[in-house]
Amino acid sequence: MIQKYYGGCDIGSTTGKAVIIENTGIILGSSIVHREIDPEVTAALALEQALKNIPEINSIKDLAYLVGTGYGRSEISFASENISEISCHAMGAFFCDRSIKTIVDIGGQDVKGISINDDGTVKEFAMNDKCAAGTGRFFEAMARIFRMDLADFSDLSLNARDLIPVTAQCSVFAETEVISLLAGKNPPESIAAGVQNAVAKRCFMLLKRVGIIPKVTITGGCAKNRGLIKALEKALQEKIAPLSVDPQIIGALGAALYAKKRESR
Amino acid sequence: MTAIDSELKILLEKPLNHLVERAINEGMIPIGYACSMVPEALISVGKLFPVSMRAPGSEGTEMADLYLSSVICTYARSLLEFALDDRYKFLGGYVFTAGCDHLRRLHDNLDYLKKPGFSYILDIPHKTGGAALEWTIEEITRLASALEKQFDTDMSRESINKAIEKTNALNRALSAIGTLRKSKHPPFTGTQYHRLIMASRVSPAEYMMPLIEKFRKTAEDSEGRSEYRARLMITGSGLDDPEYTNIIESQGALVVADRYCSGSFPGLEPLDSSSNPFEALARRTLEVTRCPRMMEGFNSRAEYIAQIAEEYSADGVIIESIKFCDTWGLESAALTDQLRAKGIPVLRVEREYRQSGEGQLRTRVQAFIESIGH
Repeated sequence: MIQKYYGGCDIGSTTGKAVIIENTGIILGSSIVHREIDPEVTAALALEQALKNIPEINSIKDLAYLVGTGYGRSEISFASENISEISCHAMGAFFCDRSIKTIVDIGGQDVKGISINDDGTVKEFAMNDKCAAGTGRFFEAMARIFRMDLADFSDLSLNARDLIPVTAQCSVFAETEVISLLAGKNPPESIAAGVQNAVAKRCFMLLKRVGIIPKVTITGGCAKNRGLIKALEKALQEKIAPLSVDPQIIGALGAALYAKKRESR
Repeated sequence: MTAIDSELKILLEKPLNHLVERAINEGMIPIGYACSMVPEALISVGKLFPVSMRAPGSEGTEMADLYLSSVICTYARSLLEFALDDRYKFLGGYVFTAGCDHLRRLHDNLDYLKKPGFSYILDIPHKTGGAALEWTIEEITRLASALEKQFDTDMSRESINKAIEKTNALNRALSAIGTLRKSKHPPFTGTQYHRLIMASRVSPAEYMMPLIEKFRKTAEDSEGRSEYRARLMITGSGLDDPEYTNIIESQGALVVADRYCSGSFPGLEPLDSSSNPFEALARRTLEVTRCPRMMEGFNSRAEYIAQIAEEYSADGVIIESIKFCDTWGLESAALTDQLRAKGIPVLRVEREYRQSGEGQLRTRVQAFIESIGH
């Protein structure tokens, strides 16, 4: 059997991700890079990095098929095809755990609720509107106010004894609200718990629209936010199933899996 | 198709297009309307002609926001902004219906801020039946008298019947082209047809007929389109911007049918010109428009959409509604369930009147097409 390699490239609003798989679906390489202004440049960088440790492949041209996804998907001229990130996240999560039925994907600028069929295809989905409240951008702004990096802010709420309600309906209002609460010498961990709780509620509303069927998992960059996972589990009254693969590259993984499917059609 | 499509695009760039200008120069009077329940044929009598009010290229509603609350839809706000910018100064007057609270507030504010030479609001019941029909006939008769008085236009039954014939001829010509979309390989895109319909709603019928004929001939000579991934139907609240359809089609869809205010269904259904014209117009308003503002008839409205989807072999239906539209906001929830129960895939999207969130719409449509297996 001739060994073939397939690529998936997920160009998000904050980062670019790439995954390279072989015939059997085994991940040979992956990467996460910061976004450049041009989505195509981001894609090239992400792929270059993902290919770096695979000696059998010299360049993107050696890939049998490449699928682009994410908000910059249509700008990747060297991709064989582009597929929506909704389908890719569903396929990626399904590949990691076939019993996953519901996904909440929190990316840099949007939140999606996805329910999936028995074959990994999308059954139903819902997205937030234009507003970036409750997305990665929102958490970045919050961490900045707390003068922390994202990782520390994610863990801050874990030690809260109580939560102080904060609105997540609007990033700008939330920002001013949190600044006032901090200035009022309220415990930072309780404010952080309020922030995580507000985002979890938004996710809950979105997931309600597609139906919450266990197992539920979380994908996207914000899946690494432990405080959010705790708040989500409380809001959903459901355990969030961890995935065997870095949740931030699930979209790119799904794209690579679609690449394999498409090429063998 | 490119040449005629470009001609239609030009007609949609601004409210006062060159055909309207020509008609005004020839002594005709444009009457603006913003609701499909307004009897278009009545404002087509004699020298009058209807102009569907749009706000193409709207860049914001700063002034209108001062007068209309934030829960009034952006269609009403955009129209007010345009009126405040004198973009509707060329109209001889407006005819509104109490179709929804948003348009009522628009009418109030136009009356207060930019009192036109003629302004009329029709009070239409929310139910059908004998009493409602009688009421609507009376309302339309009153409107006819007011138009006659203001514009010195003969509103005899013969004149109105003549205007009904004219409207029917226009709608029949559009409808005949529309049925070509049933074909497996329609000779034009949904966007091109949307432009044709909208251009016909904002230009005088007399001057549109040659363009419609040109579109028909070009379509006849064109090759069918086969490069689409899915056939879709769009339904929902007023959608007067063909660019929205274009975004949907940019994801590989072909829009083959539509059911929204100012669209082809049910707007192109012919009126009866042989009987009492006031009754024919009232029946059209009450029974043919199938507007969700009516308190009854949900099942028949849903059935109508399902039937069109089947007739035009649509693989799925997109239900769009403008944010804060009470009428379609409520209807779309129940409609989604009803259509899905019939096995029709549905994508429900909210939008603003002005084109925004294009990237998200593209993602939604692409994912929808993928989810229905195309």
